[in-house]
Formats: sequence, C-alpha cells, structure tokens
Amino acid sequence: MRRLYATVGVALCLACAHLGPSAYGEEIPRLTFAQLVDSIRANFEVTQTIKSYSGKEVEIQGFIIPAGPPDLSFFLLSRVSAMGNYCCEVPVGQDETVYVYAAKGVKILYDPLRVYKVRGAFEAGPYTDRTYGISLYRVRNARVEEAVGARIFKLGETTTPGSNK
Amino acid sequence: MTVLTVALRSLRGRFVASALTALSIALGISLVIASVLLSRGIKEGFLEGTTDYSLVVGAKGSPTQLVLNVVFRMDVPTPNILYRSYRQLLDDPRVEVAVPVALGDAYQGFRYVATTGAYFAAFPWRRKVFAVSSGRFFRDDAPEQPTYEAVVGAEAARRTGLRVGDRFYEGEEMAEYPLAVVGILRSTGSADDRAIFFTLASFWEMNEVSRKMKIKPLTAVLVRPKRMSDLPSLHRGLNVSTETQAVFPSAVLLTIFNLLSLAEEVLTMILTTVVIVVLLYLFISMYSATLERKREIATMRALGARRATILGIVLLESCALAVIGGVAGILGGHGAAYLGASLLAARGGLVTNLSLVSALEPVVFASVIFLGALAGLLPAVLAYRTEVAENLAPLS
Repeated sequence: MRRLYATVGVALCLACAHLGPSAYGEEIPRLTFAQLVDSIRANFEVTQTIKSYSGKEVEIQGFIIPAGPPDLSFFLLSRVSAMGNYCCEVPVGQDETVYVYAAKGVKILYDPLRVYKVRGAFEAGPYTDRTYGISLYRVRNARVEEAVGARIFKLGETTTPGSNK
Repeated sequence: MTVLTVALRSLRGRFVASALTALSIALGISLVIASVLLSRGIKEGFLEGTTDYSLVVGAKGSPTQLVLNVVFRMDVPTPNILYRSYRQLLDDPRVEVAVPVALGDAYQGFRYVATTGAYFAAFPWRRKVFAVSSGRFFRDDAPEQPTYEAVVGAEAARRTGLRVGDRFYEGEEMAEYPLAVVGILRSTGSADDRAIFFTLASFWEMNEVSRKMKIKPLTAVLVRPKRMSDLPSLHRGLNVSTETQAVFPSAVLLTIFNLLSLAEEVLTMILTTVVIVVLLYLFISMYSATLERKREIATMRALGARRATILGIVLLESCALAVIGGVAGILGGHGAAYLGASLLAARGGLVTNLSLVSALEPVVFASVIFLGALAGLLPAVLAYRTEVAENLAPLS
C-alpha cells in the first residue's frame, strides 16, 4: 500500500512539474537585444521577422532605466545598466532600448544593477507617444520580475542568450 | 427587551471598565490608521511632487542630495556647476529642453530658486501646470540688467504674507538687493509651492562671489531629451565627465522607497504587536467581567434565558466595544494623520491624499469587529457553560 501511495505521489509531482512551467508561460518567446538591434534598418524601419512578433506576448531581459514616473508605469529596458560608467559602450544614435508600459502595480525592489525579466505584448516599428516621444520597440501591459535562475555555464560551454531561461 | 439592549445595559453597568477598553481599542486603531495614512501620504507626496524632467544634472556628489535639493527643496544645495555645462546641453541635438536652476539662501525658510521663464513653460509631456493666482511671471533679463522680480509659491505666499508689489529681503547684506513680488503662483501640490522664484541675473548680482565670477555658477540643469532612447547615452556622457553627474530623479525616489519599505516592514511588526496587545486587553476585560457576573448570568438562566441568549449577549458586548473603539479609532487616526501631516508640511515635507477614504478603513473596521468577536468568544463560551445551581447557591 505504501508503495502505491509513493508511486501515486511521485506521479503527481512529475505531472505538476510538467504542467507548472507551461502554466507560467514557458512557451513565451524570448527576444534579445542583439536580435532587436540586428533588426533595425534605415529610416527607422525594422525587419519583417521582428515585426512578426508584434501583438504577441514576448519576454525581454535587461536593466531598468527609470525614465518615467517613479511608479514605473513607464520605463526603458536597456542592454546596459545606467550605473556602470565604464563597463560597456553606450552607442549614440543607436536604439538599444525598449519602451516598457507596465501593467498597474509594478511591485519590485528597484536595483539599477539587476537584470529584470519583462513580459508583455510586443510592438515593433516607429510609433510616437505624446508623452515619451518616438520609439522603435515597445512592450505594453508588461509584467516585471527579477530575472532569476540564469543558467550557469561550465568552462568551454557556449550558449545562445535565447536559451538562458 | 432585546439581546442588544441587555448587552448595552450591561456595558453601561460597568461604564468605567467598558470606556477604558473601548479607549484602548481606539488608541490601537488610531495608531494603525495614522501610521498607514502618513506612510502612504509621504510616498504619494513624493510621487506627485516629482519633476517631469528625465534627468537632473549637477556637480559630482550624492545623487540623493542633488534630487532632494533641486526637486524637493530639502537638504542643502550640491556644489556649483558652470554655466557652460548648461550651454553645452542646450546645444546638444538630443536635448529638447534644458532648464538651469541655482539654489541658495531663503526668505523665512522658503528657498530661493533662480531660474529662467522656461521653468514654468507648458509642454505636452508635462503633468505640472504653472499659473499665477495674481500678478504675472517674472521677465527674463539680461545678466547685466537684473530686474529682481520674484514669483512666490502659493504656500510661501500664504505663510509669509507676501503680496504682489511687496519688496523684501532677508539678512542685512541683502538690503541693497530687495526682491519685488510680481506674481503669486497657484498651488501645484509640489515643493514649488514653498519656493520663491526669480531670475538667474538677479541671483548672480545678489551674491558677492558670483558677482565677481566671469563664468557664472548654477546648481543644476533639468533636462528632457527629444527621444527617451537617447537618455542612456546622455546620462553616461554626463557621468563620465569629471565635472558633472546626471541623475534619474525616479531612480533616486525608488531607492528612497526601497529604504522606506524596510521601515514599513518594521512598522508593520510594531503595529501587529499593538493589535495583539489591544486584543488581549479586550479578552481580559471580557473574561474578568464574565467571571464577576456568573451569579447574574445564573439568575438570568433561572429566569428562563437560554444558553444561546447568554452566549449572544457576551458576544454582542465584545462586538459593541470593538465597534465603538473601531469608529473612534478610525476618526482619531485620521485626526492624528492630519496633525502629523501639518507638522511635516511646516518642516518642508510633502504629504498628500490623506482625505481619501480607501479600502483601508472598511477592512480595518471589519477586522476590528471580527477580532472583537474572537476576543469575546472564550468569555462567551464560559458564560454559556455557567451552571445555574452552582452559581445561585447562597454566598455565605
């Protein structure tokens, strides 16, 4: 009888483990800043490939730049942290930011040196907002959380950022 | 006679004990309500009073000091930057608006803010609207021809009594340079209500050191970029420079909120302890009252009162104390919050939205009644189980 309970318990745990991630949106595609930058074309245009994500739920990871109000209803998501003055180049004239319009009630402890995971409806292509001006990439109705559980690599291993969940 | 009437008469019968119990509940609830309202009001005050500009550019030093001083008129001004930093920002193609400000000195505690007319300008992205309730805005003047015209914030005007046409100065060295009030601002719900504005030329001429300086000093420049996506590169460029730092005002506020949330957690623990102590006091009060009234309860039972009726009377007494204490506590909490907000405002703090009745009050009130019933449950069960024969026996 005990073995039966144990078997049923293990089976239930495995079922939950299998169902869990999809319930939390495992299928949501992740876009990287490298993909976004590579998709920019002349005259503020973007490629059809990146446009195909428009209206779909995506995940983008980056640093928060609180360019809007302190309730974080709007902020920029950037490849580079606003704090490290010498870590990496910030290109002038090259758009490496995503305009994030957050869903109400962003409850995070803001840390300029922390990578955050943003999920929401993606928009690609030029758009002019009355308050925040022109942008190339936007995420609307966004949910924000700290990006945790990043894969740790062994010496000699390589990876693509898209698989880093 | 209804169960409620019996319960209320019973409470009136031991008036002093009942009043003290209700008072202790009221004090506990007042503390909870006032703390939550003030904590929320301070946060809202910072949110509403913040600037619409995306960057504050000032001298190297503390970002918090720069934002608190330039945006909220708290703390002391950071060291000066040179006027040419402002000119460079004006010439930068990424910048839409750059507004220079120089801070220092005050009149009766209300800070002087020297700036240009651009400070009051309206933009599509700007939430804050400046308007004068009387008079007009000051005119921008040439550096060699200062006008000494001042525009006074709504709160500063109310507290100092300054009116359009008045001339004023503070400190004998300023007697040669009195400012003339040309306008009074409407309230903006921000630190600008507590400021006195005038032109940069007047500011430089009033100060002995800046009068002699060839390149004039500023405290900070408020910057709005044409495209938000240019902010990271603007921010980085100004921070890599050895002369200036650029700060996102919202980043500073979020850091302050992070610290406040730690204080809120401590406050929550303290308030939880207060609520537990108040509940214990209510429980002890009801328990001792039930023990004292065993004979009275036995008499009621002997006269035909059912056990359920006795249970109901004790529970109603406990709930009635909770309701009286809860109502008094919510009213007292709002009163204490207003008093606290007035004291903070007198010291330059921004506290807003205290008058809003949110979900807090109904939740607190319902919780007080529920917990009041819970505290009265054991004494009620004790009363329910009171034996008639045992407690009606002769006392001697």
